[in-house]
Amino acid sequence: MNWLGFIAAVTAFLSIWIGHVAVRKIESTSRTIWIPTVTALALGLITEYFSLITDNLSLKTAFGIIGITLLWDALEFTRQQNRVKHGHAPTNPNNPRHVKILTEHKSATTLDLLKRDPVGKLVSQDEGIKLIAGH
Amino acid sequence: MNTFGFIIGIATLLIIGLGFPLVIRGERYLGYLWWPYMMGIGFFTIIASLFILIDWLSVVTGVLGATFIWGSTELKEQAVRTELGWFPFNANKIKPPFEGVIKKWKAPHL
Repeated sequence: MNWLGFIAAVTAFLSIWIGHVAVRKIESTSRTIWIPTVTALALGLITEYFSLITDNLSLKTAFGIIGITLLWDALEFTRQQNRVKHGHAPTNPNNPRHVKILTEHKSATTLDLLKRDPVGKLVSQDEGIKLIAGH
Repeated sequence: MNTFGFIIGIATLLIIGLGFPLVIRGERYLGYLWWPYMMGIGFFTIIASLFILIDWLSVVTGVLGATFIWGSTELKEQAVRTELGWFPFNANKIKPPFEGVIKKWKAPHL
């Protein structure tokens, strides 16, 4: 039996999950996106360096995956901010950067339009808002 | 110093990249109610990786399995995106076996 694939699978799943949640949370609360972007970039590069220097194959694999995930998360801060501008992710009215987005982008909203179950048909913006209210 | 981990990281990024069209197309043609099947494929793929003795192939197979499991948790939200018109909506989806049973389960979202 070879556990390396299993270790890679668990590492990939957890790093995607944690990265996914962390990017949304940090983008929503941080006053700038360059600080989280640079932090994720630095952590990603450091983790990749550990992957290069360790002799343990399991650690090498795990660090390699976590490092690349962190580098991708660095890009995701900008992508998430764009989703907020388009109204595809909610703005945080307590974050001055998001307040600016709300005033500059008509499509931006404080509502999370994805927070409901599917209904099996196309819905208008108003219907979408009613559906999340009833959820 | 060897680059095995770095190359595996890049391979993971590419495999996860395949997960995006998998979720988008999978939801469009099949619907989010196929999530238990996608999750099952993921688990079986990860179990299969245990029996692959070539390290890089075992890792790629494991990550592919993780991508299927992650994709299964994204199908419900993707279905809502299509209903809002953010992605093309298809009303004529292929229904999954045991649809009635699956509807009673809460579709996962992380």
